[in-house]
Amino acid sequence: MTSIHADIDALKGLHEALVRYRHAQREVAGRGEEKIRVIRASLEAKASRWRAELEQCRAEFGACQERAAQAAADGPAATDDPVDCSGYARAAEQCEERLEQIRRWQQRIDAEASEFGGIASRFGDLLENDLPRTEEHLLAIIRSLEAARRVQVTGS
Amino acid sequence: MVTRPDRDGEQQLRLLDDAWDKASQHWHDSMARQFDTGHVTPLLRESRGYLEALRKLMDVLEAAERDTEG
Repeated sequence: MTSIHADIDALKGLHEALVRYRHAQREVAGRGEEKIRVIRASLEAKASRWRAELEQCRAEFGACQERAAQAAADGPAATDDPVDCSGYARAAEQCEERLEQIRRWQQRIDAEASEFGGIASRFGDLLENDLPRTEEHLLAIIRSLEAARRVQVTGS
Repeated sequence: MVTRPDRDGEQQLRLLDDAWDKASQHWHDSMARQFDTGHVTPLLRESRGYLEALRKLMDVLEAAERDTEG
């Protein structure tokens, strides 16, 4: 190619770069959405696990309290070896804390994802509508330059 | 190794930026300036905004994952 056509070659290179960019960023956007979905599902699974754990801890704590109440009702002889439920209480508190921590993350992600959604939507619109128009516009410029120089249009 | 989408997006943005730099070395008439202000600059600006928002969100998602492990 002669140097007089260097600008046309450069514009063709830019056109190819724009097309590649559109496809690559579509893929990036899709992966971003997928990551949001995966993390949300993961947090929900963790929350579900900790809810079940909390239920179990509360049941064990309740059973322990019943044993303690029964021991107290049985009289002083039974209280020589008092029933200690503090371990069950701590376990239930830890479950509640873990569950609350997950809930806070879920709420934060909902808020952040909602804010991101607006930006992602505008970018998606740019990729689907504006960028193809830009590519078409550039192709038209390339064709007009080629026509002006009587260069045969190839591969466009 | 799976890379973060925001980092791949930033890499793609750099490639496009480079392609524009290369094109503008050979194309610098009034039509080039119009194309720059009407198409390239808004595209790069919107892309940077999107990728910055994506980066922040990916940071939050990773932090959530780490903080709720175990």
